[in-house]
Amino acid sequence: MQTLRWVGRRLLMGLVTLLGIALLVFFAARLVPGQAASVLLGPLATQEQRDALTAELGLDRDLFTQFGIWIGKVVTGDFGDSIISGQPVLDEIALRLPVTATLALMALGIALLVGVPLGVLQALRARRRGGAVGSRVISGLGISVPEFVLGALVVLLFSTVPLGITIGAFTAISDDLWLGLVSSLLPALVLSVFCAAATARTTRDAVLGVLVEPWIQAAVGRGERPWAIVRHHVLRNASIPILTLAATLLAYLLGGAVIVEGLFNVPGVGSYMLLAMDRRDYAVIQAAVMLAAVVFVVMSVLVELASNLIDPRVSTMGATT
Amino acid sequence: MSLIEIDDLVVEFRTPRGTVRALAGATLHASAGERIAIVGESGSGKSTIGTAIGALLPANGGFAGGTVRVDGVDVGTLDRPGLRRLRRETLGFIPQDPIATLNPTMRVGGQLALVVRDLGGDASRAALAQLLEEVQIADPADVLRRFPHQLSGGMAQRVAIAIAMARRPRILIADEPTAALDANVRREVLKLVFEAAEQTGATVVWLSHDLDAVAKWCRRVAVMYRGRIVEDGPTASVLEAPEHPYTQSLLAAMPSRLRRGVEVRTYTEMLASQAGEPDDAEVGA
Amino acid sequence: MTGAAAALARTPGRLRSLRTSDPVLTIAVVILGLLVAASLAGRLIPGLNDGTTTVGGRFEAPSLAHPLGTDSLGRSLVARLLEGIGTTFLLSALAVLCTAVIATALGIVAAYAGGWVRELVMRIGDVLYAFPAILLALLVAAAIGPGSTAALASIVLVTVPLMTRMVCAAATDVARRDFVTSARISGVAAPVIMVRHLLTCVSGTVVVQGTYALSVAILVEGGLSFLGYGVQLPAASLGLLVSEGNVYLLTAPWILIAAGTTMVLAILAVTLVGDALRDRLEPREAVDLT
Repeated sequence: MQTLRWVGRRLLMGLVTLLGIALLVFFAARLVPGQAASVLLGPLATQEQRDALTAELGLDRDLFTQFGIWIGKVVTGDFGDSIISGQPVLDEIALRLPVTATLALMALGIALLVGVPLGVLQALRARRRGGAVGSRVISGLGISVPEFVLGALVVLLFSTVPLGITIGAFTAISDDLWLGLVSSLLPALVLSVFCAAATARTTRDAVLGVLVEPWIQAAVGRGERPWAIVRHHVLRNASIPILTLAATLLAYLLGGAVIVEGLFNVPGVGSYMLLAMDRRDYAVIQAAVMLAAVVFVVMSVLVELASNLIDPRVSTMGATT
Repeated sequence: MSLIEIDDLVVEFRTPRGTVRALAGATLHASAGERIAIVGESGSGKSTIGTAIGALLPANGGFAGGTVRVDGVDVGTLDRPGLRRLRRETLGFIPQDPIATLNPTMRVGGQLALVVRDLGGDASRAALAQLLEEVQIADPADVLRRFPHQLSGGMAQRVAIAIAMARRPRILIADEPTAALDANVRREVLKLVFEAAEQTGATVVWLSHDLDAVAKWCRRVAVMYRGRIVEDGPTASVLEAPEHPYTQSLLAAMPSRLRRGVEVRTYTEMLASQAGEPDDAEVGA
Repeated sequence: MTGAAAALARTPGRLRSLRTSDPVLTIAVVILGLLVAASLAGRLIPGLNDGTTTVGGRFEAPSLAHPLGTDSLGRSLVARLLEGIGTTFLLSALAVLCTAVIATALGIVAAYAGGWVRELVMRIGDVLYAFPAILLALLVAAAIGPGSTAALASIVLVTVPLMTRMVCAAATDVARRDFVTSARISGVAAPVIMVRHLLTCVSGTVVVQGTYALSVAILVEGGLSFLGYGVQLPAASLGLLVSEGNVYLLTAPWILIAAGTTMVLAILAVTLVGDALRDRLEPREAVDLT
C-alpha cells in the first residue's frame, strides 16, 4: 500500500514535470522573433493571407488558450506539419527514430560495458598511491573531449587515411543489417567516449560510497574474497546512481546526438533537427525537444521504480534524491 | 602459548591534523576458551584492539609497533590470502549495530546462504532455518524472507550471531553487541553469545562498558585507558579491589554502586583536580 | 576507528587548504593558468591582438612565422586562438557567475523554507534537467536568436538545475542541524540564518559545483557555436574555431587540431581542478577489500 502510494506520487510528479516541459517548449517557440504567419508564408504574402493563417493557427487568441489547444493536440500525437515536407512532424520523426535509436543503444551499450568495470576498478584501486592517477586522467579526458571535436578528428582521420570505412555513406539497418551496424559503429563509438567516461566516474563514486558501509566491513571481517564482495554486496547497492545516469545518457543520446549525427551524415532525429533549425521549422524542433524530454522523464520514473526494487528501503523511507 | 597474544601494540591513525595514537603499547594474552571483557570509555582503544586481532583497521590506520599473534602467527606479516583465511576460519565478529552490518538490499536468507556456501556448507532452506533456530528465532521461515531493515535490533543481532557462529570461529569478538538494543533484549543476546561460545569452545573477547553485565558473564576483565591495558585480572578481584585509579573511578560510576549524595567524577576530572590539568602526554599528536 | 580520529577525519562542508603534492592537480592548475594568461595577453598586448588583420596567405600551414598556420582569410591562427580562448573563458565565467548566484539563492531559500517552496524549486529544476544540454541550448537559440546572449542564457539554464539541487541538498543537511534550529527558536531572522549559517556552510559545494559548471559552460558554448547558433563571426570563440576547423577539415586540418586541443585542455584542466576540490570537500575513505 505504501509502495503503491509512492509509485503514484512518482508518476504524478513525472506528469507535472512533463507539463512544465510542454509549457517551456511552447512559450520558447512563441518568443521567436517575427510572426509565425510571415515565416510560414514568406514575405510576399498579402495581409489577408496572413490574417487567415493566423486565425487558422489560432494565433489571434490569448496565449493560454493557444497553449490549451496546442497541448490538446500534442497529447494525441499531433505536433502539426513540417514546413519542409508538409508531412505531420510526428511521422517524420518516427521515420528517423529507428536510426537514432540504434545509434543510441549501441553507444549506451558500449558506455556501460566499458564504464562500469572501469569505475569499479578505479574505486578498488583508489587506495593505491599513484594507481589512481592514470585512470583519473583517462576518465577525466573522456568527459572533457567534446563530441564535435572527437567526431571531427575521427572524420579527419578516416578521410585522410584509408581505413576501409567511408564516412558519410550511411546504410540503414532495415536495408542491410550488417552494413547498417558498421556504419553506426563509428558515430556510436564517438558518442560512447563521453558516456563511458561519465559512467566510469559515477560508478567509481557510487562504489566508493558503498565500500565504507558497515556491511562491507562485516564481509571483509568474514574473510570473503574481494570480487565476491563486489559481486554480492557492492554492485547492487551502487547501481542506483549508475541507472540514473544511464537514463540521462539515453535521453541525451536519443535527442541530443545532434552534432554527431550531423558530422557523420546519419539520417536520424538529430540531423533532422539541425535541418529544422536551419529552416526555422519550429514544429519539428518542438517535437524533437519534447521527445527527448519525455524519454528522460519516463526513464527517470522507471529508474525510480527500479530503485525501489533494488533497494527495498527506498519506498518505505522515501529517501531518494 | 596463548591463542591471542597482543604485545606492546601501537596503532596509529593518520588524520588531517596529524597522527592519532589509538593504542599506545597495549598488551593482552588470552588462551583458548577464555572469556575476557575489555572495559573502558569510548576512545580508550577497545574497539581498535578488537579490530586489530583481525588486522581490520580502517585504511588510515596501521600497526606502528608491537605484535598481534593469533595461534602463534603474527597477523601483521600475513599476506592478503593469509589474512582472509585467518578471518574466515578463526575469527567471528559480532557487531555493535547489527542492522547496519547486514546488506540492506539482500534478504536475510540470501545473506545466510552466501556465508554458508562460502564455507562449503548446506545452504538449503531447511538448513538455514535450522541456523536461525539455534539462535532462538521463533519463526525462521519468516525471518529468512525479510530484509534487514524489517528486523528489530534484537532479531538482527541474532541473525548476526548466527552468521558469526555458522563458521564455528575459535575467537569471537563482540564489540558492544548490546549497545543498540533495548534493555530487556540485552540479557537474552548476551546469553546467546556466551552459550554459543560455550558450545563451540570459542574464546570470547567482549568489548563493553557495562561493568554489571561483565561481572555476570566474564571471569576475567581487562581495563583500557588511553590506548593501554591498565589493569587485567580476575573480574572479582578487579571489581573488589581495583588497583588503577581509572578503574576505581569507573567502578564508582557503576549504576549498581551509585549512592545518593556521593558525587561521581570521571577519572579525567580527578586527575584535573589533583594535577591542575589532565595528562595529555600519553596520546601524542 | 576511535571516536576522536573519526571526528578529525571528517570536517565536511568547508574546503581545506589546497596545498598538495598531487602532480595531476598541479599540472591542471598550470594549464589553466597558462590559458587564462594567454587570453589576457590576447586582450592586453596590442601586438598579439591581431586576429582581424591579414598576415599571410590563406591556409598557410604552421611555420616559424605563423606557429599554428593561418585561416581562411590569411589571419594568424595564434591570434585567433588567443581571442577565442578569451571569449570562451569570459563568456563561460560570466555565465557560471550568474548560475552560482541564482543556484545558491534558490537552493538556500528552498532548503530553509522547505515544504512547497522546496518542491516547486525542485520541480522547475527537473523540467530544465530533462532537456539534453544541447537541445536546451538550441531551443534558447531558436527563441532569442543566435549569438553570445543565447550562449550565455543556455549555459545558465543548463547549469542552474544541477547546482541548485546540490546546494539545496547541502543546505538542507545544515538546516536540520541543531545550531540552526536553536538559532530559529531564539528568534534570529531568517535572512541572517540563511547568510550566516547556510551560505557559509554550502560555500564549498558552490565552489566545487561552480568548477564543474565551468567545464559544462565551455562545452555548451563550444557546441552551440559549433552549430552556428552561439558566438557569431567575426568574433572568435573556441567553439567557433573548432567549427571553422571542421569546415576546412581537409584543406587546413591544423585549425581543428589547434582549436580542438585547446578546448579539450581547457575542459580537462577545469574538471581535474573540480575533482581535486571535491576530494577535499568530501574526503572519501579508500577501503581495502582484502
